[in-house]
Amino acid sequence: MEESENVAVTLRGVSVRFGANHALEGIDLVLRQGERVALAGPSGAGKTTLLSLLNGSLSPTTGTVEVLGGDLSRLRPRDLRRVQGRVGTVHQHFDLVGPLRVVHNVNAGRLPAWSLPKAMWSLVSPQEASGAEAALARVGIAEKLYERTDRLSGGQQQRVAVARALVQQPEILLADEPIASLDPGRSLEVMDLLRRLSDETGMTLVVSLHALAYARSHCQRIVGMRGGRIVFDAATAAVTEAMVASLYRLEDAEV
Amino acid sequence: MTPLAQAGAPDLDVLEREGLANVPDTAHDPGPGPDPGDGRGRGYGQRSRLSPRRLWLVVLAAAFVASLLSAGVGRRDLVNPGGWEMVRRFFGAAVRPELGTEFLRLTWDSTLTTLSYAVLGTALSVAIGIVGGVLVSQTWWRSSRQAPRRPGRAQVGGGWLAARGALGVPRAVHEAIWALFLVNVLGRDPLVGVLAIAVPYGAVTAKVYSELLDEAPAAAFRALRAGGAGRLKALFYSLGPQALPDLVSYAFYRFECSIRAATILGFIGAGGLGFQLSLSFQSLRYGEMWTLLYVLILVSGLADLWSRRLRSRLTSPKPALRGHSGRIPPAMYSQAGGTVVGQARPRRDRLLTGSLILAGALVVISVWHLGIDVARLWAGRTRTLLADVASSAFPPRLDGEALTELARLSLETLAMAVLATALATAGAVVVAFVAARRGATSLLARAVLLACRAVPPPVWALLFVFVLFPGPLPGALALAVYNFGILGRLMAEVVENLDPRPVRALMAQGAGPAHAFVYGALPVALPRFAAYGLYRWEVTIRETVVVGLVGAGGLGRLLQTQLASFDYRSVVVTLAALVVLTFVVDLAGASLRRALR
Repeated sequence: MEESENVAVTLRGVSVRFGANHALEGIDLVLRQGERVALAGPSGAGKTTLLSLLNGSLSPTTGTVEVLGGDLSRLRPRDLRRVQGRVGTVHQHFDLVGPLRVVHNVNAGRLPAWSLPKAMWSLVSPQEASGAEAALARVGIAEKLYERTDRLSGGQQQRVAVARALVQQPEILLADEPIASLDPGRSLEVMDLLRRLSDETGMTLVVSLHALAYARSHCQRIVGMRGGRIVFDAATAAVTEAMVASLYRLEDAEV
Repeated sequence: MTPLAQAGAPDLDVLEREGLANVPDTAHDPGPGPDPGDGRGRGYGQRSRLSPRRLWLVVLAAAFVASLLSAGVGRRDLVNPGGWEMVRRFFGAAVRPELGTEFLRLTWDSTLTTLSYAVLGTALSVAIGIVGGVLVSQTWWRSSRQAPRRPGRAQVGGGWLAARGALGVPRAVHEAIWALFLVNVLGRDPLVGVLAIAVPYGAVTAKVYSELLDEAPAAAFRALRAGGAGRLKALFYSLGPQALPDLVSYAFYRFECSIRAATILGFIGAGGLGFQLSLSFQSLRYGEMWTLLYVLILVSGLADLWSRRLRSRLTSPKPALRGHSGRIPPAMYSQAGGTVVGQARPRRDRLLTGSLILAGALVVISVWHLGIDVARLWAGRTRTLLADVASSAFPPRLDGEALTELARLSLETLAMAVLATALATAGAVVVAFVAARRGATSLLARAVLLACRAVPPPVWALLFVFVLFPGPLPGALALAVYNFGILGRLMAEVVENLDPRPVRALMAQGAGPAHAFVYGALPVALPRFAAYGLYRWEVTIRETVVVGLVGAGGLGRLLQTQLASFDYRSVVVTLAALVVLTFVVDLAGASLRRALR
């Protein structure tokens, strides 16, 4: 397996089409391990589509997606799952299971490593609860371990989603609009949290953002997207106001 | 609201209403509480060994075992080996249905009769439902005085509670019992069948309609009232239109149920498919039975399909949950402009308009086919007969011996219902997941479920009586098969409407399909399944009467003997016992649902 030069993700000539709609077109992108990268751009730019390519829940119409040294569309199902287990995702709508207690939602991140009987027994008598508690402690809500997830506030649910990704001990963490539904105070906390986690563990962080301010303050690199294409890809310091403005120009805003 | 709260709160399906509306469902969830430690006090919080939930599960398991024992499972002389030959012959006839012209004509006529009862029963119960629904809605009671609202929670008072409670009584008595009562008052008249459906169903419909009206946003209503509009006018201009889709949708669901009820009424003499089924059975003409059963399955299937189509059209779509990906489907992007354009909605929905016209036509045809004569209701004879029944029923006969027997039979009835519901729920949970998928196995599962619920419980009971000695067990099994058909279908709908995102999220991080199912789908589905199971338990306790009438034991059996000997003074007591039992089960069911939520 080639993991030369610490490359985490390589996309070559990637396009994704849903019928006549070109969600992504001609994407080439290389992300290095430990990088903190922001995907910026208006709604419909293809940010979510790009992230679902990276965690293997979508395969490209053309082109190749290599994650942690494996070409996702060529891997056998079992190997694909192994790679997926090394990529954590925090979804825009958290995608937690509401009626389950927090401990189970966090432990869901361990499912790839667990046998089915163990997974089922855990729902009756929580397994590895200390691991889940440690992950929750890192996101600052350890005391919520045994609460029902749908009774938590939005910000707390967001943290549970992060904790679920953390127990995977991922090498890459994908976050899809992690602050879209949070107030400014919570937004800053979550972004700080993501940056700290990436610093501590050296994991690659890919986060899609509406708010350019957070991309500037928390990421090292910004990939600007519009209409399914990459408009610019530069270190944060090199991103100018003109480049940002080009993302959100009103005319021909979408495909 | 957080995204999860939205995802976890799909519109309360109209189907759920009947059973679940009196318990606030997720739709009424207080939402994520900012209060830390909120969950701890409620029993979710602690990892205690004996949370109320677990305690209830233990109680349920114990009730199931007790019911098994009381139904005689484990005793030697349970199975009648001689009966297998009859069962073989019955199922052998499945490939040789009677297709003679004469019989087909009879079948056609019977189908029309059953349908007519169902149509008129539904129409009348909807009419009762609209009037009653307005009268028992909280909005109506609250706005009784044209006065400025006081701050704080408006009181609805005891009048409203009494009105709501009164609706429970007609519902507690099964359609078949209503029919047997009405026959004594009206004589053999088609009105009996119509009213027997319309009275209990009208009560439920009124209850559900009042809840629908109360759930509709009340701001517009208050604005109109503040503008000086009268109560009724304000209601028709604000709440009515807002709740209309749900009202229509529920009416069609009622129609499905009415077909089943009309068939059962046939068994006790109202004519139609049920009546022919019992005649053919008595003369052991299995071929004829199969013709009738096939027609019944076909009619039920068509009615289900019609109502389902219509309901999915009427209830508001849930794009985030329905779509495969939650994305806007590509087809909705216009090619040139780039803005999202929804398909222009046709001003008139053809399916909807057609359905309403067809429904109207069916009502007219039914009146003509059955030869309904409404004047019969206030004929002098009716009044005399009503007085006769009333005088012969009082005073109720109450003595110690009868009471002991009544208590024993009540327990037997309860055991039948517990057993039937437990078996039906267990089977339905498994089959629901199969039926909700696509492909051939799903079609097969759906067909089996349809057959199970289209064949009325008395027929299932008669079949089980072939191989099992009469008693509560064959009755319980008959109700189990029938409820399995209904529950399986309700649960399959739950599965279809599950939020697919958690499962997708788990798969995306490398969990296998089985793992993802156990963590992402089951925990959401199981509480709803349990709620449906409990709801059917409440319905089943009423339906035990039907299998009791064909000799399967319980209070229904007792009622049948008492009715046959015109012992109305005892009938009243048995009926009272049934009503009490029903209320007890309703209460238990409601508190269980709350505990399991």
